[in-house]
Amino acid sequence: MSALPVEDLSLDLLTDRPWITLVWNDPINLMSYVTYVFQTYFGYDKPKAELLMLDVHEKGRAVVSTGTREEMERDVAAMHSYGLWATLQKDD
Amino acid sequence: MFKNKLGGKLTLELDDAELGVLLQLFEQMSVLLEDPENESGADPLAKMLNMSGSTQISEDPALARLFPDGYSDDEHASADFRRFTEQDLRSQKIAALTTVTETLKEWPGKTSVTPEQAQDWLKALNDLRLVLGTRLEITDSSDRDLDPEDPGMHLYNYLTYLQGTLIDTLT
Repeated sequence: MSALPVEDLSLDLLTDRPWITLVWNDPINLMSYVTYVFQTYFGYDKPKAELLMLDVHEKGRAVVSTGTREEMERDVAAMHSYGLWATLQKDD
Repeated sequence: MFKNKLGGKLTLELDDAELGVLLQLFEQMSVLLEDPENESGADPLAKMLNMSGSTQISEDPALARLFPDGYSDDEHASADFRRFTEQDLRSQKIAALTTVTETLKEWPGKTSVTPEQAQDWLKALNDLRLVLGTRLEITDSSDRDLDPEDPGMHLYNYLTYLQGTLIDTLT
């Protein structure tokens, strides 16, 4: 019997903390564009998309989605394809 | 400008000066995106698998803005993320650029824009504004109004206007 793959044991299993996608404020992307992207990609309704956009604009960043690491990597890649400045990290 | 015609059809109207400027800017964008440095020495298999992307963020601020890090607090994870996503992102940006350039080359025969083409226009115009805005060192929203006589600023404001008309037709 082989040894347990200790290094492969993901800490995620133990902490159960989700991952988050953050969108950061930048001086170039139009507010209407950012709102449109949130509606189009995440399927958020306009009021929610606008609230998130204002959060990004006024607080410097906002959590736009939550899920597994793989899901968040997909969301971040999609945000980059729209030219939004996004990163993922573990929720803390 | 972009307009919604009766029946929901999207059209693009440009005069000769706008057409010339856009063709020139999109051409420069494709040179920037198809940087030969990214082709030389790439492992052919990795390239075929779309895995030949670099692992480091570009030293060119404009490219760094188009291809940002995926993690703000983890250099190693950012490098992995970039290795697996950057080539694909670059291909998507080049494809959008190709679509809009083709539309312009058919000018003036074609003025209608399909919903798919509109998405490419949106992304290509936004990428262009990101690059130009970074070159102009726009650091705050209010900077947009600074020195509107500057030729770069004039172009930037025009692109902002054009993208704005497109967003208006989509929302």
